[in-house]
Amino acid sequence: MRKVAVVGIGHGKFGVRSDASLRELAFEAVKACLDDSGLTLKDVDSMVTGIAGDEFALGLQPSAQVHDYIGFHPKPNYRVEGACATGSIALRTGLMNVASGLADVVLVVGVEKMTEVPTSIATEIMGKAGDAIWEYPFGTTFPGYYAMIANAHMAEYGTTEEQLAMVSVKNHYYGSLNPYAQMQKAIDLQKALTSFTVAYPLKLYDCSLITDGAAAVIIASEERAKRISKKPVWIVGSGLATDTLRLGDRKSLTSILAAREAAKTAYKMAGVGPSNIDVATVHDCFTIAEIIAYEDLGFCEKGEGGKLIAAKETYVGGRIPVNVDGGLKSKGHPIGATGVSMTVEITKQLRGEAGERQVKNAEIGLAHNVGGTGQVVAVHIFRRE
Amino acid sequence: MDLKHFTLNISQTKVNRFVDELAAGRFMATSCKKCGKKYYPPQADCPDCMASDMEWKQISQEGTLVTFTKIHVPPEHFAVRQPLMPFSSIQFEPCPIGILEVEGGLKIMGWIPKMDVKKIKVGMKMKASSFTLPDGKLTIVMEPI
Repeated sequence: MRKVAVVGIGHGKFGVRSDASLRELAFEAVKACLDDSGLTLKDVDSMVTGIAGDEFALGLQPSAQVHDYIGFHPKPNYRVEGACATGSIALRTGLMNVASGLADVVLVVGVEKMTEVPTSIATEIMGKAGDAIWEYPFGTTFPGYYAMIANAHMAEYGTTEEQLAMVSVKNHYYGSLNPYAQMQKAIDLQKALTSFTVAYPLKLYDCSLITDGAAAVIIASEERAKRISKKPVWIVGSGLATDTLRLGDRKSLTSILAAREAAKTAYKMAGVGPSNIDVATVHDCFTIAEIIAYEDLGFCEKGEGGKLIAAKETYVGGRIPVNVDGGLKSKGHPIGATGVSMTVEITKQLRGEAGERQVKNAEIGLAHNVGGTGQVVAVHIFRRE
Repeated sequence: MDLKHFTLNISQTKVNRFVDELAAGRFMATSCKKCGKKYYPPQADCPDCMASDMEWKQISQEGTLVTFTKIHVPPEHFAVRQPLMPFSSIQFEPCPIGILEVEGGLKIMGWIPKMDVKKIKVGMKMKASSFTLPDGKLTIVMEPI
């Protein structure tokens, strides 16, 4: 396998983007990414697009809209999809292209325009990312699935609603420092705890947002990367694993087993372990998901995730800073874009360009991206020179 | 009966009989004739054997609650529009749901209509039964035993 590095990053503003369409959102990120890399599209061999939902895009083959709008014909592009893990699966597909020698320079775009449909429809589309036949008849929603995971975790390990709220307070704090974040406002514990219940025990501030947005990266082979970038960030580990579609069929409701499996693969490939990670972005679609991610990635023991956030160990300066870009919770979660946005943040951190949110001397970073209710998980590990 | 009477969305499947049995109050799994593995929800095919020779078997309706929630912000099919409600264009009466583990680790999802969500506990013993909704559709409800 050839070595592959991230050589360009671009991020659009996340939020309710009633000013722009899917293709226009993607253009913003692609333009920023080209500017960052110093390349033009003529230098790029092929493209992979991550868009999770035809139902949000209101049309089949939404990646063609993006590809056409940036004028990338006749070069290759296709779309990949894995619910909320779509962005990281797009990155992995780009990685496969370059590592195999099929291409030297690949553009990876992640984009979603979720507010094109009303909230109740968006809630339905997301709810059907579980089992549309056997779970959705019980009115399941995404907060509903994670609420069931939360109740199981609380019953087994004594995790508390306060600990869940602490994740939200942290991520809102870092979101307030990220100009691309949807919510740029710090909150206190009281505000999180007194917000209305979305799916018991999860409250408004336990839930990520319905978001429009795009992110893009350019990745390149070793030879090209060294010529393109002074600070290439190497993709040294990529793990992808899967589990059952239905939550009820899982061996564990208190762990995302696919995340454990994907992390194992990624750590092995990178030749590092959890204690080597300097900074991480994890899939905090709900606060409980971040707590479980700490455990699944080995940042703490099983059942100790609540204590890790209570001890503020996942803040900058703590043992393992997590989601210091605001996470899905505060930065927003345009589902197809999220995994690519995580890659942008880790690249910034490893280049030392994260400003106020910078983790000092970060050398190794990790991105953990969960699709469905844990049905598919991608974990990537990045390293600077 | 059409599976859509249960699923809301999908009408065409090889396991329609599930709904007819549910209408008669029976919870049915399919079982692989070759390896004996049971599937609930029922499957027409056994991925362990890559075989499609299945038989229907009635399963226990009693078991242990493995988790639960109460969804206050519903998806489209369950939403009744009421523009006067704060923070939302939706007003409806939410109902808890849960997952019940019955014989052999099989899991039944159902509504828990008669309980205050704060009194529901993981590990409770419950029984699932079929329930006909006012519009004739079928669903599953659970209550403590």
